[in-house]
Amino acid sequence: MFNKTFISLALTAAVSTSAMAATDQDVENSFYPYKSGVPSYTGLSAGMTINQGNVDQFKEILDPAMYEFIKAGDTEVKVGETTSFDLHSSYVEATKANLANVKLGDNPGEISGSVAGRPFPAEPSLDDPRAGEKLAWNYKYGYNWGDSAAIMPFYWKFRNMETGKLERTLKFNFHFLNFTHRTEQTPTPAITPNPSNLFRGIYVQVLEPFDVKNTQLLIQRFEDDLKRDNAYLYLGFQRRVRRLSSGQVTDSFLGSDVMIEDFEGYNGRISDMNWTFKGARNMLVPMYNHNEMELDSESHKDDEGYQVVAFGGKGNCFPNVTYQLRKVYEVESASVDPNHPISKRQHFIDAQTFTIPRNITYDRKGDMWKSWSIGQAHPDHHLPQNKGKGVAIDDAFTMVDMQAQHCTTGQFKGIVDPSLTPQSKMTVQNLRASGK
Amino acid sequence: MSKRIITTMNKLAAGVAVGVTAMAAGYTGTAVAADTEWAGFVENATYLRDGVGLSKFRNTAQAEFSKPIESDSWSNVSINGTLRATYDGVYDLNDDEFGKDATEEYLGANWHEQDLSSTILQPGTPLPCENDPALCDNLDGYMDQDEKDAKYPDFNDQLDFIRELYISADKQLDNGDIINLSFGKQQVVWGKTDLFRVLDVINPVDYSRHNIYDELEDIRIPQWMLTAEWRMGPNEIFDDSNLSVVWNIDKFRPHNLGTCGQAYRIVDAGCFFSSRIIGGGPYVINDVEEHDWSLANSQFGLKWEGVYGDATFSLNALHYRQQLPSIHTNGNGVSPVPGSNFGLFNIHFPEVNLIGGSIDYYSMNQDAVWRLETSYTQGEEQPRDAYGYKETDMFRYVIGFDKNITIPELGTRSAFLLSTQLFGEHILDHERDMPNEAENWIATMLFKGFYVNNRLSPQIIIAHDFAAEATAIAPSIEYLIDDHWKVNAGFNIKEGGEKKFPWSVTGGAAGGVQTEPLARFLNGPIGVANQEDEFQMSVRYSF
Repeated sequence: MFNKTFISLALTAAVSTSAMAATDQDVENSFYPYKSGVPSYTGLSAGMTINQGNVDQFKEILDPAMYEFIKAGDTEVKVGETTSFDLHSSYVEATKANLANVKLGDNPGEISGSVAGRPFPAEPSLDDPRAGEKLAWNYKYGYNWGDSAAIMPFYWKFRNMETGKLERTLKFNFHFLNFTHRTEQTPTPAITPNPSNLFRGIYVQVLEPFDVKNTQLLIQRFEDDLKRDNAYLYLGFQRRVRRLSSGQVTDSFLGSDVMIEDFEGYNGRISDMNWTFKGARNMLVPMYNHNEMELDSESHKDDEGYQVVAFGGKGNCFPNVTYQLRKVYEVESASVDPNHPISKRQHFIDAQTFTIPRNITYDRKGDMWKSWSIGQAHPDHHLPQNKGKGVAIDDAFTMVDMQAQHCTTGQFKGIVDPSLTPQSKMTVQNLRASGK
Repeated sequence: MSKRIITTMNKLAAGVAVGVTAMAAGYTGTAVAADTEWAGFVENATYLRDGVGLSKFRNTAQAEFSKPIESDSWSNVSINGTLRATYDGVYDLNDDEFGKDATEEYLGANWHEQDLSSTILQPGTPLPCENDPALCDNLDGYMDQDEKDAKYPDFNDQLDFIRELYISADKQLDNGDIINLSFGKQQVVWGKTDLFRVLDVINPVDYSRHNIYDELEDIRIPQWMLTAEWRMGPNEIFDDSNLSVVWNIDKFRPHNLGTCGQAYRIVDAGCFFSSRIIGGGPYVINDVEEHDWSLANSQFGLKWEGVYGDATFSLNALHYRQQLPSIHTNGNGVSPVPGSNFGLFNIHFPEVNLIGGSIDYYSMNQDAVWRLETSYTQGEEQPRDAYGYKETDMFRYVIGFDKNITIPELGTRSAFLLSTQLFGEHILDHERDMPNEAENWIATMLFKGFYVNNRLSPQIIIAHDFAAEATAIAPSIEYLIDDHWKVNAGFNIKEGGEKKFPWSVTGGAAGGVQTEPLARFLNGPIGVANQEDEFQMSVRYSF
């Protein structure tokens, strides 16, 4: 039933001209894709496990990297029920309010009229040459962490996938703050003063181990996508702030398998990439209720009783979470810069939340290099203070270097609470003050 | 009087230190928030010097703590401390070369062959407080370490085992601005430069630990200071803005240049200061001017910094004392006047006013960062031959360039860090008899790579002093075994140090080409260390 509805909607979108303005119905379809029913696939049911023995049956609803992992026996996927991740109503309303004004500019990275909300809620069309770019904007201005959020603490583990040896454990705090495009936390839609017209700040502080303790990273992204991020690094042993060149944004972040550019599925400029929409499909992605997952009682315990998600599989490189069959948009991003260390990324963007639960990165030769998963937890089944926040909570990531057989895993305690991320957190002075 | 004040200050400092530490460790009042966080390391650093043998066997234990405290009216209140204990076994394991019995054949024997200079000055007396009480008395308060101080450098009258101990608190203002106050023993860092100190001159430096080569973090000598910051954040023009005041209320301490007999003594100054005219003549140093603790002798500075577009900047002003010794002729300038501690020169530490600024600029076109740091000082003194010293304005700057470069041919997808710096120093009222050149430049280059998830990191540092025609090359490799264990091994090789300079103060060899003693300034810290090629290895366990 749902599939027919979906196909019908897709066809409607496909025959529409790309210039046609989106409607309130587009908004409803975009934010509530499962209102009329959830997708299904022959032989697939909640509670079952996809493993080496039956994976070929489900190849169509797996991305190529996950298929390879399961086929090789590196991991199994437990199937969960498809659930609706309703984003906060303020973001939906902002989308409707700005619907008629949003337009792409002449060149990639140029947009006008986007004050807040999802810029392009209409169903993308394969006939629209700029559909990929529009989806990238939907991600960039998405409600990924809401207006602000904190991950306190955030454990990154470096693991040898062959031997399972745990090489390093880094403990971070991460903070995210939107300066503009705000819909729920006051002030909306923007924080002022904001002289350089910043769009978003990401602040990272290393708590452990000792050799990198007090290292801090501040990324300031501009509203003008054509302007490269300001990135600052504070090194504890030097006690001073260094500006970063973009070379470090595409470099191994503190020795992990993750680039700064990889954060959240893509953490760069729209204009750094050529975006190509490859189509919509139903796919298994790691989205779930955190409180119902297998939890890791060793890595983190606190007074709230919160525990992070456990990992297993080959080398403990895979989160022990359930995967839902969901509608995703497949988008390829190829670097404009020929010297970029990767040739392209294959993004599988969740159509409802515009988070990116699955990514595949290809090296310069075009070979599959790294596989990114970031589990999305429903906010109503997570920390009590996250209930009703309408934010898909980043909850467990893994970046597997398939060529080096190495991985970096991430375990989160994500908290949607504006008091944890004041504007003063996103200043250069804060780096000095916190690192002193 | 001065010693009584020092003693009183030290007792006061000890009392504050013990009290604050006790608060941090066991504060049980109603205001307690989170637990005290502890971190630290133990480390062995073993260095072998070419032709000398063991030159360092330093064992360090360092612990850092932070104790958050809740307060109704202030936020982010915390007590922070760093404690360090060091034992350098080289003075026990290689006492032929270093320590109180480490005599040398002639002054400067550790950096040049014997020449005519040996006929003027005797070799320096190692650790004079154990070998020559009169000389120790002349140097009272400066460069008068004994062997115990060299072995256990953190345990002295200044309680240097307390690397830091300060309380910090924020006051949130109604308009969103934040006032921060920090009081205690601290390092206050103003510079943007590696290795060189242009603006980063608030804390003096302990060069006896490893000449210029250790991280400033480890060799700054913390001072008791009050800092106040007014964090204004963004406004209509600047993305960030901050005004800070630093008031150094500690008793003035100069750089520790390393006493004669220690394994590291920058420009061999320690041996020069502990030498005398050959044949039982006067000491080189007659007395060291001491600056008692008083408000008039305190040091203070003001800094405004901010972010404007792609540039971060600071404007700095500081009133402080010169931390390098200035050598004043004792008497009329040519014929020294014998006194109770008869010597040729007195050491002074003049007052200095500094204005300066810094800017970091990210160039999007070059995808690289340019750094500029500059200072202009009034009141500094430079050494001279015939007249001892001269006050002169000084202009210094560092231009830095940092870029990350991916070089797949070198077998890693991680980018290499290329960081180059050019340090310029200009003596604005230069005289011909100054051993330091009117203009000089030192260039440095760091090239650092990362392999195996950054756990293996080779690097090479090259530094060249143009006036001294001296070069240091330091390749090294660091391996992070896991979160706790780290090993670093490398070489530090120096060349140069051949410069000579006439010295006429004693009436001999005027206009000649003697090496001693002022040529040490011309040859600089790299050239004077030309006999200190080393293999260096350290093993650290962090917790």
